[in-house]
Amino acid sequence: MTARPDRVSTGVPIIDQRLGGGFVRPSTILFFSEIPSEKRLFAEHFVITGLRKGETALYVDFFRAPQLARREFASFGSFPEDKLVIVDATSSQLLLPSQERYRIASVDDLDHVVEVIKRALRESRPSRVVVDSMEFLADRFDRKAVMRHWRELIEVAREVGSVMCFLFINWTYGEADVLEIQGMSDFVIEFQTSMRAGILRNTLRLMENRTNGLRTSWVPYTFKDLVGLTVYFPRILVTGPFNAGKSSVVKALSKTSVSVDRLGTTVSFDYGNVDLMGLEAELLGTPGQERFEFIFRIFAREVSGVLLVVDSTQPGQLERARQMLGLVGDGVPFVVLANKSDLPEAMEPAEIRRLMGLAESVPVVPTVATEGKGVREALQRLAEIILGGS
Amino acid sequence: MNPGPANGTFPVYYSVLVSGPPGVGKLEYLLGLARDFLAAGDRVVFVALDLHPDEVRARAATAGLDLGPLEGASFAFVDCYSATASERLEPAPTKKVYAVSSYSNLEGIGMAISRAAHDLKPPVRVLFYTVSTLFLHNSAQAISKFIQIITSRVKTNVGFIGYAMHEGVHEVHTTNLLRSLVDGVVEMRFTEALSREMRFHHMRGLRVDPAWKPLPEDGVPPVEIAGGGAHA
Repeated sequence: MTARPDRVSTGVPIIDQRLGGGFVRPSTILFFSEIPSEKRLFAEHFVITGLRKGETALYVDFFRAPQLARREFASFGSFPEDKLVIVDATSSQLLLPSQERYRIASVDDLDHVVEVIKRALRESRPSRVVVDSMEFLADRFDRKAVMRHWRELIEVAREVGSVMCFLFINWTYGEADVLEIQGMSDFVIEFQTSMRAGILRNTLRLMENRTNGLRTSWVPYTFKDLVGLTVYFPRILVTGPFNAGKSSVVKALSKTSVSVDRLGTTVSFDYGNVDLMGLEAELLGTPGQERFEFIFRIFAREVSGVLLVVDSTQPGQLERARQMLGLVGDGVPFVVLANKSDLPEAMEPAEIRRLMGLAESVPVVPTVATEGKGVREALQRLAEIILGGS
Repeated sequence: MNPGPANGTFPVYYSVLVSGPPGVGKLEYLLGLARDFLAAGDRVVFVALDLHPDEVRARAATAGLDLGPLEGASFAFVDCYSATASERLEPAPTKKVYAVSSYSNLEGIGMAISRAAHDLKPPVRVLFYTVSTLFLHNSAQAISKFIQIITSRVKTNVGFIGYAMHEGVHEVHTTNLLRSLVDGVVEMRFTEALSREMRFHHMRGLRVDPAWKPLPEDGVPPVEIAGGGAHA
């Protein structure tokens, strides 16, 4: 994707693509949650992404001393440190000296707090700003005063052309206040962290605050040291009739894969992990033979999406393919991979769509899995459908 | 493992407030719980707000609990203390500690508890020492919502949580609100002769004896619920 000067990349390619290259400059983004979530990871990833592109980023930190913040930023790997401008709102709370150019001398004086941030904005003219976090102010000062200053900060950020992100967990405000804050923002990114079966799951969804604006589904994400934040889709089912090329698809997409097979056909399942730029997925390849349908039914639970692999040279198998889709259930996003598309007798995607009775909106992607052709595109298309919105 | 009231300890999914004046022995009580939980094969997260983890380690050792070999396997600290103390600029400690940078960062405390529980694998017993410290840095309203969310999150997905709270430093309605957010309250007090007593004020769903009882001299009181035997 070519970078556009009026856009700032989120650092998550699949989200950038949906945003037409990133957030428009200037704009206001609310990073919001009602209960504790990992929104800071996304904010830090966003800042690091800008720094690595040579942009200036401003980080207002009410919770961490600058040395600690910089150390935590380093877990993302290297970045040009001189481009990171920190507003130090912590040293004075700890009664410690500050090395930072922008230092809030007293967090008990709201006017002073906001003045320092405004000055940092005007002088450093950052492309990206993160305020971490607004609940610090919301919990300490009169609500009306906080809202007035909040709007002023948005205005100054607009003047200097920044994408301004406010982290905010709502401890103390009412519903009407939250709606007002969301209304002040161009985008609301809502975060959830939940624990199920002992596993922490992070998801986010993005809502554009205008008529017919972008609204994504809940997008799962994960974080790794030195890599940063990636969108993560658990349980992508790779399925299709016998000998359609499912194992080849898993192998072609995965950096590591495991196949349990006998005489060249999968009798149990394939397992693989995909790691494309900014997108990770867990692939579960099922056997195609009907006698293994019991395994299929186990795998078909709680899947994020389906890559349905069909043999483009076998029109007689399309009915079986359709039936397998039915086993997964309605409403699960899927893409059809028209595999072996290089063979002379291969059907065209449109013909496969017609024979399977699929809607025009269902992508049918020609692939040659053994050569890795088309499979990444197919996964990308599936990821876009899972992401939702338009 | 799901020890019920009959064998004298708290249910796996349960919440308790331990309330008493400073110096009465709340920390010893929590460490006694930690020792018994760990001895029973449970995993424990200790949220340290008032003390450095090293001090908790030392106090645990005097109560017969050597945390050293357990840390990272069945025991973990959420450390809210170090970042605000002088050693905050030291390199990251070798032991796996879930650090929180500020008492004001309630969300960070919540996420650190979740991460620690996730890494130790639920069910986990969470011990929180003390909730009172949060009041120096956050509004009562924010803390109440935080405690309510953390308690329900822990009870649904993590396990047990026990909060220590200093008595006599909070408004009455704050104290009452916190008491209403948990399943049970353990009260501790000094007698006029400055000996120490404790009682189970109420325990939702459990039968307890609400009478005041003296604390043993070693400062590690037994958990006595529903007539269960003293916890050694």
